Amino acid sequence: MPTLNYSQLAPILIVLGGALLGVLVEAFLGKKQRGPVQIVLALGTLALSFVWLLRIRNDVSATAAMGSVATDGFGIFLQGAVLVLAFLALLLIADNDHFAPAASALPGSEEEAQALLSGTRTTEVFPLTLFAVAGMMLFPIATDFITLFVALEVLSLPLYIMTGLSRRRRLLSQEAALKYFLLGAYSSAFFLFGIAFLYGYSGTLSLTDVGTANIFSVGSPAFLYIGMVFLTIGLLFKVGAVPFHSWTPDVYQGAPTPITGFMAACTKIAAFGALLRIFYGAFFLMQFQWKPFLTTISIITMVLGAIAAMSQRDIKRTLAYSSITHAGFLLAGVVALNKDGLAASMFYLVAYGFATVGAFGIVTLVRDSSGEVTDLSKWAGLAKKSPLVSVAMAIFLLSFGGVPLTSGFISKFSIFTAAYQSGNIAIVVVGVLSSAIALFFYLRVVLMLFFQEAPTDGVSVVIPSIMTRIAIGVCAVMTLILGVYPSLLLNLVNTMATLVH
Amino acid sequence: MNILSVVTLFPLLGVLALALIPKTNTYQIKIVALGTSVVTMVLSFVMAIQYKSPASGFAFVTSHAWVSSFHINYALGIDGLALVLILLTTVLVPIVVLGGWNESEGGRWSVKTFYMLILVLETFMIGVFAATDVFLFYVIFEAMLVPVYFLIGGFGTGERAAAALKFLLYSLFGGLLMLAAVIGIYIISAQQVIGSFDVSALSHLSIDHTTQNWLFLGFFIAFAIKAPLWPFHTWLPGAAKAATPGTSILLLGVLDKVGTYGMIRFCLTLFPDATKTFAPYIIVLSVISIIYGAFLAIGQKNINSLIAFTSISHFGFITLGIFAYTSQGLTGATLYMVNHGFSTAALFLVGGWMVSRRKSAAIEDFGGLQRVTPIMAWMFFIAGLSALALPGLSSFVSEFLVLLGTFTRYPVAAIIGTLGIVLAALYVLILVQRSLHGPLKSGNESMSDLNLREKIAIAPVIAALVILGFYPKPAIHIINPSTTSTMSQMNVSDPHVLAGK
Amino acid sequence: MRTSSLLVYLIALPLFSSALLLLLGRIADKWGHILATLITASTFVIGAYEFMKMQGQAGESRAVTQKLFEWISVGSLKVNASLLLDQLSICFVLLITGVGTLIHIYSIAYMSHDKDRRRFFAFLNLFIAAMLLLVLGDSYLNLYVGWEGVGLASYLLIGFWNHNPTYAVASKKAFVANRVGDVGLSLAIMICFAQFGTVSFEGVKAGAHGASSAALAGIGAMLLLAACGKSAQFPLQSWLGDAMAGPTPVSALIHAATMVTAGVYLISRSNFIFDASSTARLLVVIVGAITLLFGAIIGTAKDDIKKALAASTMSQIGYMILATGLGPIGYAFAILHLLTHGFFKAGMFLGAGSVMHGMDDEVNMRKYGGLAKLMPITAVTFGLGYLAILGVPPFAGFYSKDKIIEVAFNAGGLKGILLGGAALLGAAITAFYMTRVMVMTFIGARRWKAGSHPHESPILMTLPMILLAFGSVASGFLLSKGSALVHWLEPVVNSQNVEEGKPLMPALTVSLLALGVVVIGAAFAIIKYRTVSDVAPENVSEFTKAARKDLYQDILNDRLLVAPGTLLTAGLVRADDRVIDGGVRFVGSFLGATSDALRKVQNGFVRSYALLMLAGLVITVIAVWVIGA
Repeated sequence: MPTLNYSQLAPILIVLGGALLGVLVEAFLGKKQRGPVQIVLALGTLALSFVWLLRIRNDVSATAAMGSVATDGFGIFLQGAVLVLAFLALLLIADNDHFAPAASALPGSEEEAQALLSGTRTTEVFPLTLFAVAGMMLFPIATDFITLFVALEVLSLPLYIMTGLSRRRRLLSQEAALKYFLLGAYSSAFFLFGIAFLYGYSGTLSLTDVGTANIFSVGSPAFLYIGMVFLTIGLLFKVGAVPFHSWTPDVYQGAPTPITGFMAACTKIAAFGALLRIFYGAFFLMQFQWKPFLTTISIITMVLGAIAAMSQRDIKRTLAYSSITHAGFLLAGVVALNKDGLAASMFYLVAYGFATVGAFGIVTLVRDSSGEVTDLSKWAGLAKKSPLVSVAMAIFLLSFGGVPLTSGFISKFSIFTAAYQSGNIAIVVVGVLSSAIALFFYLRVVLMLFFQEAPTDGVSVVIPSIMTRIAIGVCAVMTLILGVYPSLLLNLVNTMATLVH
Repeated sequence: MNILSVVTLFPLLGVLALALIPKTNTYQIKIVALGTSVVTMVLSFVMAIQYKSPASGFAFVTSHAWVSSFHINYALGIDGLALVLILLTTVLVPIVVLGGWNESEGGRWSVKTFYMLILVLETFMIGVFAATDVFLFYVIFEAMLVPVYFLIGGFGTGERAAAALKFLLYSLFGGLLMLAAVIGIYIISAQQVIGSFDVSALSHLSIDHTTQNWLFLGFFIAFAIKAPLWPFHTWLPGAAKAATPGTSILLLGVLDKVGTYGMIRFCLTLFPDATKTFAPYIIVLSVISIIYGAFLAIGQKNINSLIAFTSISHFGFITLGIFAYTSQGLTGATLYMVNHGFSTAALFLVGGWMVSRRKSAAIEDFGGLQRVTPIMAWMFFIAGLSALALPGLSSFVSEFLVLLGTFTRYPVAAIIGTLGIVLAALYVLILVQRSLHGPLKSGNESMSDLNLREKIAIAPVIAALVILGFYPKPAIHIINPSTTSTMSQMNVSDPHVLAGK
Repeated sequence: MRTSSLLVYLIALPLFSSALLLLLGRIADKWGHILATLITASTFVIGAYEFMKMQGQAGESRAVTQKLFEWISVGSLKVNASLLLDQLSICFVLLITGVGTLIHIYSIAYMSHDKDRRRFFAFLNLFIAAMLLLVLGDSYLNLYVGWEGVGLASYLLIGFWNHNPTYAVASKKAFVANRVGDVGLSLAIMICFAQFGTVSFEGVKAGAHGASSAALAGIGAMLLLAACGKSAQFPLQSWLGDAMAGPTPVSALIHAATMVTAGVYLISRSNFIFDASSTARLLVVIVGAITLLFGAIIGTAKDDIKKALAASTMSQIGYMILATGLGPIGYAFAILHLLTHGFFKAGMFLGAGSVMHGMDDEVNMRKYGGLAKLMPITAVTFGLGYLAILGVPPFAGFYSKDKIIEVAFNAGGLKGILLGGAALLGAAITAFYMTRVMVMTFIGARRWKAGSHPHESPILMTLPMILLAFGSVASGFLLSKGSALVHWLEPVVNSQNVEEGKPLMPALTVSLLALGVVVIGAAFAIIKYRTVSDVAPENVSEFTKAARKDLYQDILNDRLLVAPGTLLTAGLVRADDRVIDGGVRFVGSFLGATSDALRKVQNGFVRSYALLMLAGLVITVIAVWVIGA
């Protein structure tokens, strides 16, 4: 009789439950009521799940569901992080303007126009978000490959759909969705393939046993290497590491901006959670095989991400490349392979998440008659019209750039410290240089905002809805607080940075 | 709260006060800004009176845990070196406010913003000299760039945005290299005793030569860019050209001193062996700076960039004195920092008044000012004399000490450096002759002489130049102990007398 | 050593009054010049008083000091602001304050029409203060302060009418040339510190014998360079002529009597260095000999009376420098000539000023002529100075100049003959050009501009001239009676231990020889300038052309220094932008280019993305395999 330890799984179950309720709401409530109800339901679900998480936060070395998930400090922390950031992202998503009224309708077609008139809203996005969240919560705590794969798909599929829901520039949006789906399927295939090889090598699906298997070196190492690499690449795809990053700019640009924010922040947490768990756990003993290639990928990702971003003219693409660069920095935390590296990565993910959600939140505000304006040249001189928004944007950008007194600086500092401690000085030096390059394009945006004259066909900043305002405000404040007094979070991550094997 | 913290943080009170005043009553804003800076100055004087050179380490020490997980403290403390530079800062800021009474107007943003930035900058400038925690120093070192960036970009003239960006990129690039070194030394301390950023603790580490060299370079390049030392200087002239006179005074007078200060405080004491390894090369760079800066000053057509290049020449003298590491060299260099602060302030103040009256910074537009505005002409002349280090003015004492101290260790460098005094005479007197002497050039007829406010602003600077020239004892008395301790930390002593006795 | 609390006032009083006059501004216009003059007079009184007290003492205990405060104290370097008045410096103190006072008085009248007279007197007092500091400082560093101080005063006074561009340039030229010399002084001080660990005269003197000959030669050469700058000696002589742009009293005080002789002071003061280094001495005599001829030759072709006198000053200081290079006995005669020259040259400059005053500021001697009748006092006083500089017995110059020529001959061997010969030749040329000046100005036909009414100057101007004329007549005799000055200076320049080599020829012969050449030179001038055209003739010998062009000194400086310097500057300015800043810009543009290239890769086709991923995968697998195996 299998025991599931429901209380450990409860947070995920709550979110799934909320999602199912959301589906029912879609089925039985009228157009008018759906919107508000869905918003309340979704936010409520996340809140409830978070509360439960707090209840169980102290038994940090438990496994559940017959050892197929591990609710250790690390896992619980990342689950909490996902919930908080998803909550903020939802506040952006709730702003009804971003989504196509009838996603099924052809762009510019008759029925779309009608749907628009009849005030239809794509409220499906809320249950979809919740499903994705559930997947993201499961991903970093899964300790056997099947669970891992299921979680991966649960978090991915809703995202594919949500990417296609943009209200404006729908063709771009749908193209992005398709790309994302195809490449996602492609990488999932690798992932699954990798699992198969690892099973062939070790005869087990449990991460822990794969880890110990090579001591007795059953099976041929070829299986191990191929399996390891294929699995890794599935994950590197999700975090957008070079050369598996190509989808990122297109998808980030095409997806409805709030969704981009949600993806950028939460997917990274989930995916790096899994990466860290696997490499700190299952593959720990094989580090001499994978460390060099992960180091290389980290370096390439940092440098190319930064360089590629220099020539971008679109804010969303710029942020996409910035997220690639950050993936590179985070990989430095993975290869550090020490407790500080784990803690640093946890801090980094949260700090980056706040800044990202905030930044994309601001992108949703800058519009002209035809909707959001992501062309940077149009952003020139924004500070004159709306100083507050510009200052907030500057804070997020400086944080991305790792300027002191912003959370981004502490993230970089702790990651580099961990890397240096692991003796991996090359990564530190390259990291430092590539952040110098990265600084250039962050500062260029700041310079545009503050020091350039606004173009005649200027853009306007819409008055944010109260929810958007809360989201951006919280992100900005957190970015500063974590920069000025990082101990708040650092102490937490240091206590929570525990993995059960 | 000890007086050092009070002095450091007091300007922030002024910022709060300014925040409460509405944008429109600029007069009130200026008065509050002036008042704050004056009170800060008085407080710093009180501190200076209480100051007794400590037998070892620092005076007015205070330390509070900031980021405990990295052993980072809010730790302040001063020795003679820091004290004189803090005094320089607190004296210059009110002079800048008073002297540039109207330069805050007609900027991109409100007068209020200008003075808030200035006061924030003052806190940073004091803090950077007071910090005894390397991490704290680094954070301020980087953070203080931001207000300057906005001061240049927001209130400057001409190519202000580009100049501001260039300044920021150069400095941040250097800063990132330094960050790597900071992390490095922290890790080493963690490996040898316990992780620490306390500068005195770090000076007791035993670091092998290669590591020392790399860490030294990390710090040194950052400081060399800041100072600026040839060939890292190209950001300075542009910045000085674009910035308002007040900003230039703070930039060249104080901020650049952080570079030379850092060389003494960190390069020499933390990496004595590396210092000895690199000193000869740095001496060469310094000599090049002296001659090169002087020649380019002669070649300038714009008053501000001319002053900027003279400063490059003077910074050459300072680094020359530092890396000769003799007691005369070090004390001379430190005194030079103070004197250069005052003489540059004088040059930029009067130069700024001339430019604002003539509505042009081109030297050729001036001529015969001696006739129209005798007092202004005299002030400019005296400022020039201090720039060419005329005996009886403070800059002579420091320049001569530097050369004397250098000669005992690097005679050739000292000899070449001494040629600089001829070039100095040239660039000053050519400027004086073209702008003040000769027949009255058209466009200068209606120029008005200094008003009372301007006289009050310039008087203390001139007084400082003269008094410290005839009676430098108080300053030297404060500086000598920290020179001695620096040399004992490096465990070097002055070269022996060659002949006699 | 005795101390005196009065010394500081010698410097403080004029400094204070100078500052006062400058700060008070127009308020002080009424009485500024009076105050300045009284202050200078009072310094003379102090000097005289100290002089009296000195004579009461035995030779060794005559020097007095006064410690004011600790100036610079870093490591082993300890420099006090303290003053030393000994037998050497008292000579200068009396000369500076005495002649200074007279020239102040003279200037009251001379500058009476200038609306900036107050400023003029402020500068004069500044100069007095700086010059006194120069001769009273008890260490090289204190001396250096005065040294550059007089440089500043001279700059301000040469450029007193700096609204005239050429005057402004002249003042700049003077300062820069002096700065070149100052490099020498700075380096000398550095070597002293490195060698002896001190920069005080006493300390260096004590250590001098212990130093290597190379070091001593180095110090000596650097001190000589300094002297060349300040005393307009070859090769730094070119500024003195232009310095005549200043008001004539300035030329008299600063550029004839006092400041330009500071070099002689410096070398005599550093006798312990030069006595110990024959190399340094050799350099000194060479410079001296060259300059005394150089100046004299230039003097022969100048039509501008002040420039003629300036050239003569250069030449006479050449004599002094030459003397200082001739060993212990030389110092005394150098100082002797310095003092007598102070009287007669100052006198003649004031005379020149008086003439200009009468001829509405005409300086071209070709426009003078026959002024003796209309300006008798001027003519007589000038004439007495003339006789003195020629070295006609029993006038002042005879005692000083002849001695120098004699000592030069006694230097022994070929060296002696060359130096003596040069000095003798110089005397002849001096006689020629001074006679030329005398004749062209006071005798012969009147070649005045229309509408000029020459007239004798007011008493305030003539009185100083008369007093100085007394000096021109008597000073030489008084100072060398029983070789008074030689004995007076003994303790400082220890001239007692002079090895009396066998003289080349007896003193009388030298005197007669000198007198002979002087007569020839003078006669030649009288014959040549019986008639003078009021415009300078063009068809003159190459020699004259060269002399008119100051022997091409300026052209030489331009070609050798100014032109290359200008080129270098321009080149560096371009290099700074193109090379250094260009390098940085290149890195930027390189990254930009790479970035654009990467954009091309991001072509939006899923297939190529997939291909890229596959490539990455394959490479990774191979890599891991290789590492694993």
